[in-house]
Amino acid sequence: MMSYSSGGLFNPAYHDSDTLEMDRRSTNKPQHTNPYPRQDPGWRNEREHTHYSSAPQPSSDGIRGQAPSGGWQEESWRGRERIPMSFISTGPGSPSWQHDLNHSTLQILPDSQYDRSPAVRLPSTASGNMTMRWRGTTLRRMSMFPSTDPAYQAFTEDAIRDEMENEEQKLVQELVAQSTGDGIRAIRDLPVSFREKKHIRSQVLAFKSAEKSHHFTCLAECSKRVSSSFRRLGYSVNSTKQTLELWQGVMKEIGGKFGTSVLSYFVILRWLLMFNVLSFLVNFCFITIPMLVHNLSPNIPTNVSFRGLELLTGAGYFTYTTMYYGGYSNETLGHLVQYDMQLSYFFTIAVYMVLCGIILILSMASSFKRNYVLADPVSNSAWQLLCSWDFSITNERAVKQRKNNLRVQLKESLSEKAQGEQLTLSEKLKKLGVHLGSWLLSTSLAAGCAAGIYYLCQYEEERTTDDANQSLLEEAKTLLVPFVVSVMNLVVPLFYSLFNKFELYSSQRKQIYALVVRNVLLKMSVLAVLCYYWMNVVAKKFSCWESVVGQALYRLVIFDFFFLLLGSFFGEFLSNVIGTRLIRRLGVPEFDVARNVLELIYAQTLAWIGIYFAPLLPVIQIVKFFILFYLKKVSLTQNCQPPRRSGRAAQMQTIFIALLFFPCFVGALSMVAYTAWSLTPSEQCGPFRGLNNTFSVVGVWIDDLQETDDHDWAVWIYQNIIRSEIFYFFVTLIIMIVIYIFWQITRGRKQLISQLRQQIVNEGKDKSFLLDKLQNLQKCQPKKKHKQKNHKKHTEQRPHDSSPNGQPHSNAMVQALLARQRLEEEEGRRTSRVSVPSDISSSSSLAQAMLARQRAEASERGEFFSTTGFSEIPLNTSNAVTQPMQDRRRAGEYRADEADGLSSSVSSVMMQVMQARQRAEEEDRFQWAAAPQGNSASAGSSALIQAMLARQQAQNEFDDGY
Amino acid sequence: MGTTASQLGKDLLSEYQELTFLTKQEILLAQKRFTELLTKDEKNLPNTRVPMERILTLPELKSNPFRKRICHVFSTSEQKDGSLTFEDFLDLLSAFSDSATLEIKSHYAFRIFDFDDDGTLDYGDLEKLVNCLTGETDDTRLTTEEMRQLIGNILEESDIDKDGTVNLSEFQHVISRSPDFVSSFKIVL
Repeated sequence: MMSYSSGGLFNPAYHDSDTLEMDRRSTNKPQHTNPYPRQDPGWRNEREHTHYSSAPQPSSDGIRGQAPSGGWQEESWRGRERIPMSFISTGPGSPSWQHDLNHSTLQILPDSQYDRSPAVRLPSTASGNMTMRWRGTTLRRMSMFPSTDPAYQAFTEDAIRDEMENEEQKLVQELVAQSTGDGIRAIRDLPVSFREKKHIRSQVLAFKSAEKSHHFTCLAECSKRVSSSFRRLGYSVNSTKQTLELWQGVMKEIGGKFGTSVLSYFVILRWLLMFNVLSFLVNFCFITIPMLVHNLSPNIPTNVSFRGLELLTGAGYFTYTTMYYGGYSNETLGHLVQYDMQLSYFFTIAVYMVLCGIILILSMASSFKRNYVLADPVSNSAWQLLCSWDFSITNERAVKQRKNNLRVQLKESLSEKAQGEQLTLSEKLKKLGVHLGSWLLSTSLAAGCAAGIYYLCQYEEERTTDDANQSLLEEAKTLLVPFVVSVMNLVVPLFYSLFNKFELYSSQRKQIYALVVRNVLLKMSVLAVLCYYWMNVVAKKFSCWESVVGQALYRLVIFDFFFLLLGSFFGEFLSNVIGTRLIRRLGVPEFDVARNVLELIYAQTLAWIGIYFAPLLPVIQIVKFFILFYLKKVSLTQNCQPPRRSGRAAQMQTIFIALLFFPCFVGALSMVAYTAWSLTPSEQCGPFRGLNNTFSVVGVWIDDLQETDDHDWAVWIYQNIIRSEIFYFFVTLIIMIVIYIFWQITRGRKQLISQLRQQIVNEGKDKSFLLDKLQNLQKCQPKKKHKQKNHKKHTEQRPHDSSPNGQPHSNAMVQALLARQRLEEEEGRRTSRVSVPSDISSSSSLAQAMLARQRAEASERGEFFSTTGFSEIPLNTSNAVTQPMQDRRRAGEYRADEADGLSSSVSSVMMQVMQARQRAEEEDRFQWAAAPQGNSASAGSSALIQAMLARQQAQNEFDDGY
Repeated sequence: MGTTASQLGKDLLSEYQELTFLTKQEILLAQKRFTELLTKDEKNLPNTRVPMERILTLPELKSNPFRKRICHVFSTSEQKDGSLTFEDFLDLLSAFSDSATLEIKSHYAFRIFDFDDDGTLDYGDLEKLVNCLTGETDDTRLTTEEMRQLIGNILEESDIDKDGTVNLSEFQHVISRSPDFVSSFKIVL
C-alpha cells in the first residue's frame, strides 16, 4: 500500500518477526529508560479530553500530546494514502494500550515523559496479533538501544505508531473489501478489546456507506438487506439452539466440580440421546403413524393377554404390536393417498442409517482434525499439563484438589524425563511378558465369553418352540441369555482393570488404549456371536423370526439398563463406602470415564442393530438414557472425586466417536444390510412377507414404475447407476485416486513443516549471532555513534524513495545496524571525500538516524508553538509544523537529483547527507532562538533538554567534520 | 452505553452479538449478572466500572487461580486496577465462550500467563505460572531445582528459536498441539 518499507525497521515483517530477540535482561536494569510516561491522571484526563472532543485546546498539554504525533515523516506517508485524514485520527485512545504500557517493568525517568506521550495514544489497531506483537516489539527495541538517548526511543515509537496506523488502515481496507458476513467474522476474531472492535467496525461501515453512496443500486441494497436478515436469522437460530439444549445447568455444575474430562461422558450421553430422539421421530412419523392410522388396534390373538412380564421380555402381548417388525402390514395403505408400507419401511430405515453414518463421519472428521492431527505425540509434556488447567472449575475444593494433582503430575513428568529409558534387558523382557500375558488372558477371556454365549444360545434354541402362547416360566427362561450377557459385560471389565494394575505402561495413554481395546473386543465378540446365532439359526427356525430377534434385542437393552444401574451402584457407591469406611487406603473412587462411555457405546450398538427388527426400540433407549443421566449425575456427585489425572479428554472423546463409528455403527449397519440383502423375510408377518429378500422391494417398485411410464428417470437411475457395476467401479477408482493425491500432499506438507521449522531455528541463531556482534561493536564506539546519528538526520526521504528491498525482513534491522557501524568507521576516515556505500541497507541506516533526529525536532517545534500560544487543533498544529519541513525536504531532493544527474539513489543519499548537514546547522540556530521562550512551560523542559542535547551533538559533529 | 438500563436496546444487542461470540441469551444473562454487581447509585450511571474486588465475587471467577490476571487482561481501565465495564465483561465472556476461536483463546491465555506484561513468557512468568497452578504456599510449590528443570523442559519443548523465552507464536504453536486447551479454557456464566 505504501512504499515506506525499505528500511528493516519500517518493514512490518520485522515487527512480526518474533525470532528477533535482543538482550532482554537489560530491560530490568534500573538505568534503563522507560518509553512510557509515568502515571499522571491530570495530564491524562486532559489528553483524553482533547482527543475525544478534538476541540481547539491551546493548553500546552494538549499540543504537546499531539504535535509529535504529527511528525513530518508520518505526515508525508499520510499524504500518499487514499484514506481521508478523519479516519486516521478518530481512533479513540486505547485504554488497553495505556494499561499495557504502564504496566511495564521498566524504570521510569521523569524527563522521558514528554517524548513518549504520543505512544500512549497509539491508535489501537489490531490485525492478528498486533497487540502482543506491538508490545513485544517495543520491548525488544528498548533493549536494543540500551543508551538513554531519547531520540532513539522517540524514533522507535514513531515507527511503531506509524506502523500501527498503517496496519489499521490496511485492516480496514481488507475488511471493506470483504463481504459483510466475512467482515463481521473477521472483526470478531480480532483479539482486541470491545471498544476497539467497535471502532474498527464503525470505520468499516463508514467506508462502506461512502462507497455505497457513490454507486448505489437497488440490487446492492436488496442483497445487503437479505444478508443482514440472514445474519439475524443465524443469531436467532443459535439462540434457540442454546435454549433447547438439554441440561445446561446440570452440565455447568458437573463441569465446575469435576472438570471437562468427566463432563465429556455427559456430553456423549446427551449426544446419543439426541440420536435416539432423531431415530424415534423418523421411525414414528414414517412407519408407525401410517400403520396406526390404518389399523389402530393390533391384531392380537384372543388367547394372549397382558401379563406384566412382557415389560421385561418384550414377548407375548408386545409381539403383535407395532413395537416389532411383525406388527406391520405389507399392504398399500390409505384410500385417498397411496402409502406403500413396504417402501416406506425400507426407505425409512435406510435413510436413518445413512443419516447416522453421515453425522458420525462428520463429527468424527472434525474431531480428528481438531484433536488428533495436530496433537503432540509426546504424552505428559509439561506444556500440556500447564495448558490443561480447567477454567470452568468453580468449586473451591475441586480447585485445591486439581492443584495437588497437577503438582503430582508435574513431578511425575520430571522424574519420567530424568529416568528416561534406562530399563535393562531383563526388565524389558519382563515387561513384555506381562503385556503379552495379559493380552493373551484378556483375549481368551473374550473368546471364552463368546463361546459361552454361543452354547447358551444353542441350549436355549433347543428348548424354545415357535409357540405363540408360552407359559410364564418359559417366557422367563428367555431372560437367561440377556442376563448372562450383561453379567459378562459387568464382570469381565473388572478383570481387565485388574490386569491393568499389574501391567506397567510407560504412559497413561497406552494404558487407557489397552483397556478400551480389550473392552471393545469383548463386547463386540459377544454381539457378533449373538448376531451369528440370529442370522443363521433363528432366521431358519421361527416363522416370524424378525420379531423374535427384536424381542431378544429388547431384552438385551432392558437388561443392559438394569446392569448399568447396578454398575453404578457397585462401581461407585460400594467402592465409595469401602474407600471411606473400610479400607481408607483406597480413598474415594474416581469416575471411570472410559468404562462408562464404553457402556454407552454398547447400548447404542444394540439400538442400531434393533432399528430394523424393532422400529420403536429408540423409545426404550430414550427413556434409558434419560434416567441414566440423572442417575450418573447423582452417583457422581455423591460418590466420586474429580479425576486425579487430567488431560487427554479431547482425544479420548475423539476415540470414543471413532469407536462408535467403526466397530459399532459399521457392525450394526452390516448386520442390517446383510439381513436386508440376503435373508428371506418371514412368510407370515411383517411388511416384506412373500419377498425373496427385503431389497427386492425396490426392484418391484421399479417394475411398477416401468409399467406406468411416468418416471423414466427413476428407472434409468435404478438400472444405470444402482445396478451397474461399472458405476461403482469408477466411483471406487476416483476415490482411490483422490485419496492417493491427498496422501501425497500430506507428505509434502510434512516435509515443508520440518523445513520451515529448521529455518526458524537457523534464523534465530543468525540473529543472536549478529546481535552479539553488533552489541560488541556498539560498546567499542559509543561516543562516535552519537555524532554520526545527528550527522545524517536529514536524508529522511530515502526510505520512501528507495524501493522495498528483497532481503529477508527479519534480518533487515540487523543489517541496518551493522551498516551504521560500518558507516561510523568510514566516517572516521572520511574528510572531504564522499564515499558511496554500495550496500543498500546503509540508506535505511541513514534513515533511522535522521528519523530519530527529526522526531526530536518535531517535538521541539510543538513546544515552541504551544508556548507562543499558537491555538489550533493539535493535528493541524503538527501539520503546520511539518509542512515547511516537508517542502524543504522535497526541495533538497530535487536539488540532489539535479546536481547528481544520476538516478542512482545511493549517491543522492550522500548528497543529501551533505545538504542536510548544512540545513541542520541553520535549524539549530533557529531553535536556539526559540528555545528560551519554551522554558516558561515547566512540563516541556525535558523536550528542550533533549533538543539542546541534540543540538550540542550536531555542533560537535560540525567541529569534527570541518 | 445504556449498559445499566434494565433492557438492552435492540441495536445494542445486535451489535454485541456481532462483535462477540455470545448468543442473545448469554448477553442478557451477562447483563443481568453484571447489574447485580452494581450498587444502587451506579445503576443509574452509564458505563460504570465495577472494581476488580466485586468482579471477583462472581462464583465463576472466585476460585480461579488466574482471577486477578483475567481481570487485568480484560480491563480497559486506565488505572490498571482490573476494573471492568460491561463491555470488558462481555469481552471476557466472549473469549472464554464455547464458540471463540483457538486464536482468540490462545491469545488471551498468553496474555493471562504473561504476568509482567512484557509480551513474552520468560523464566519469571513461567515460574509464576507454575506456582499459580500448583499452589502458592511453601509446602505445595515445587522446589527450586524442580522448577528449574521443569522450566527447562518447557523451554526445550516450545522455544523454537532458542532465545530463552516463549513468544506468542511459539505459545500458539504449543497450544495448537494440546487439544484439551480449547475445551478447558472456558468460563460459562
